[in-house]
Amino acid sequence: MSARSESGSSSATSSVSDEGEWLDVENDEESITIVSLFDSQTFSSWNEMLDSCKKHHDFDFIATIKNLQLDFHGAVKLVNYIRSRVRDQQPVAKNLTLTDFEDDGYFKPVLENDALIVSLDEILDSDLVKADTTASQLNSSQGELLAQKQALEAELESVRTQFSNYRLAVQETLDRRWGDDTEQSPAKGAVRGDRGNYYFESYAYNEIHETMLKDTVRTDAYRDFIYNNKHIFKGKVVLDIGCGSGILSMFCAKAGAARVIAVDNSDIIKKATENIFNNGLSDIITCVKGAIEEVKLPVDEVDIIVSEWMGYCLLYEAMLPSVLYARDRYLKPDGLLVPSSGTIWMAPIQDTEYMSEHISYWRDVYGFDMKAMQEGIYDDVRVEAMPQNTLCGEPYPFKVLDLQTIKPEELSFTARWESKLLRRPDGLDGFLIWFDNFFATSRSEPVPEPTTTPEVFVKAKNGNVAFTTGPSGIVTHWKQGLLLVPPENPPSKLELPETISGQITFAALEENARALRIDVTCSSESKEGKKWSWKLE
Amino acid sequence: MSGDKMEVELAEQKLKTMEHSEQHYFKSYDHHGIHEEMLKDEVRTRSYMNAIVQNKHIFKDKVVLDVGCGTGILSMFAAKSGAKHVIGVDMSTIIFKAREIVKVNGLSDKITLIQGKMEEIELPFPQVDIIISEWMGYFLLYESMLDTVLYARDKYLVKDGLIFPDKATIFFAGIEDGDYKEEKIGFWDNVYGFDYSPLKATALSEPLVDTVDLKAVVTDPVPVLTLDLYTCTTADLAFNTPFTLTAKRDDFIHALVSWFDIDFTACHKPIRFSTGPHTKYTHWKQTVFYIEDVLTVQNGEEVQCKLDVKPNDKNRRDLDIEVDYSFQVNDATRNASGHSAYKMC
Repeated sequence: MSARSESGSSSATSSVSDEGEWLDVENDEESITIVSLFDSQTFSSWNEMLDSCKKHHDFDFIATIKNLQLDFHGAVKLVNYIRSRVRDQQPVAKNLTLTDFEDDGYFKPVLENDALIVSLDEILDSDLVKADTTASQLNSSQGELLAQKQALEAELESVRTQFSNYRLAVQETLDRRWGDDTEQSPAKGAVRGDRGNYYFESYAYNEIHETMLKDTVRTDAYRDFIYNNKHIFKGKVVLDIGCGSGILSMFCAKAGAARVIAVDNSDIIKKATENIFNNGLSDIITCVKGAIEEVKLPVDEVDIIVSEWMGYCLLYEAMLPSVLYARDRYLKPDGLLVPSSGTIWMAPIQDTEYMSEHISYWRDVYGFDMKAMQEGIYDDVRVEAMPQNTLCGEPYPFKVLDLQTIKPEELSFTARWESKLLRRPDGLDGFLIWFDNFFATSRSEPVPEPTTTPEVFVKAKNGNVAFTTGPSGIVTHWKQGLLLVPPENPPSKLELPETISGQITFAALEENARALRIDVTCSSESKEGKKWSWKLE
Repeated sequence: MSGDKMEVELAEQKLKTMEHSEQHYFKSYDHHGIHEEMLKDEVRTRSYMNAIVQNKHIFKDKVVLDVGCGTGILSMFAAKSGAKHVIGVDMSTIIFKAREIVKVNGLSDKITLIQGKMEEIELPFPQVDIIISEWMGYFLLYESMLDTVLYARDKYLVKDGLIFPDKATIFFAGIEDGDYKEEKIGFWDNVYGFDYSPLKATALSEPLVDTVDLKAVVTDPVPVLTLDLYTCTTADLAFNTPFTLTAKRDDFIHALVSWFDIDFTACHKPIRFSTGPHTKYTHWKQTVFYIEDVLTVQNGEEVQCKLDVKPNDKNRRDLDIEVDYSFQVNDATRNASGHSAYKMC
């Protein structure tokens, strides 16, 4: 249940993001397709297009530019004015005046990636226009013109940013406002009730973000790390991957980051943009919609990558590869990853109550045998919050992921595990999997030992933050991964003291890279090995 | 078994070609979790069981159609009650599990299970004597299968045939829910020190499926829709109606709550169950609609409301729900009126 998987599955409608548009405008003028000002016809050069407008629509674009003595700004507005009139099926007067398109709203492109706007420099610079332009411009050196162009583009960007902020402001004013705006503390504790996970995956647009924000173990860890280490964030450029509703980006901005780039592939980023605006942080945080592998960021490198990428059993949903991609592509050599490492644990379990309530249950349902419903029970990873006393052996940390160094291919792995039995189970019901996350304050800090618990890590150094999703801690929205094994017949009597051990494999499912396959082998001193496999999809 | 396997694959392939929203609807039922939840809903399953097995004289030698049979539990109740034959129909691939279950319980010769859409399949009997169906969704109508039941009624049910259940009633009441409204709605005003109000509007437009404590109910309950399954049509599923809530004590109203009752009037002794806050938990819980205002009501005062419910134009399984409320008393400071639009999707 994490936000980034929610993209579009809910009622949100799609619309074009401003950020995307802006990034695309920078396309170079290599091979271009210019859409006619007056219809949908396309041309491969602006000369042909303008000629056609003259011939078929009796509109002389060049003459208009000359008559009104338009500069780059003016020409951009002229293009968008004409395009918006045509789109709205309004007539375009032959003798336009400056006041017709003086509104700054016409800086906003009507066409995405309008090749005509991209070509405007060339048009303004061409002999057709230049013939009559002022002497000063004629005398300008190429360098000056380029500088001017850059200045104008910068100005255009700032106008566009202002416009999008203005648009948000208008939206905000129109939004329904509430009677009481009194100060409230964020609600604590578990969400009341438990709506069916299955039926209503798409039920509530907010639900997933509410669940994550109200997961205080998760959100507090990020908040504490960022707010207690303001010196680390001050003046830095931060990248937030999978920003969701924008909370981590806003923490970073509040902590003094110079710039935060928030990236998310889901429509929730529209809400993040609004949230960021409403909190007066638009000048620090830039929202970019898209996959991190595909978007173009406004910076070449960043000082810090913040991301809440963890899925069930840590690696379900495979968002970590995106973080590693961004690490290799954007993070400075001495840059910081937040969090910095994770440890995955497992332990053998026995829980008679759980098994009878959910597994044996099917053998007698209102007098009918429904054992067919048991199928798959031993094939799928179940996501459940189990009590500590479910464990019948000592937990074992079988994998440490050092985010600074791990390679994407190392996310599929096989590791050894062992566990000393804590009590004498009459048969094993399965295994439980969970993870701890560590937030180190510097890159030079050594990665915690596998057995290092969050408590020990937090005490070791001022500013360190860590949390567990295991059965000994407060329940998080990740709960734990429960791997059930089919009962043995007759049940094997495990003796104390005994250590059971084996191997555990994490791998992506062939048919679905976001899903996870987990294999476990297990043997004890007295018994030969067994092997099981589960899917989480 | 191998024949079944091919069928499973065919069914899965067919599911893939459906609209995403439809696919989601059918596929979400495949998970064990939802069936476990429904079967373990004792109010639901026991009511159906009693309605069927306590009326063997009605079911004996009858041809029965189970619309949306799921794991086949109702079909098996009917077979145990002496039905001549039971046809279970479900679009979901859960029906292949149902087939195994029916076989294990030695009822394969009494029960025929068909995977597919009611509108597209062919039944082995031209007519049926009884239709049984557990078609109800949250707020009765959300993701409900009622339109399929009505289709089956019109196409297959003999004249004077019976429907189990045959009556459904939706109720509304006003509730005091300040703390939880604060937690669900007010939460967005201050999220770790940030203003999250854009998500607040969304939160308000989503009816909340949850359990409501009886003590929270401030007004008398009012029925707003009664469906007689023998006579109603799909057109009745879009409806609007005025209703009046009368306060039964001095309190505040933060939200309206809705639930439904289900009646099996064809039984020898009529059976009814309710999903309201006054009775035992069901998996349907109740549905809460938060309103913008907090109404300060005194015992006996009335809130005039108008309800408008219709399936969404784009996705018929989604519901558009609108509520107008007007509270006018002599004390102008307490007067309030408003309009809320909700979407269940």
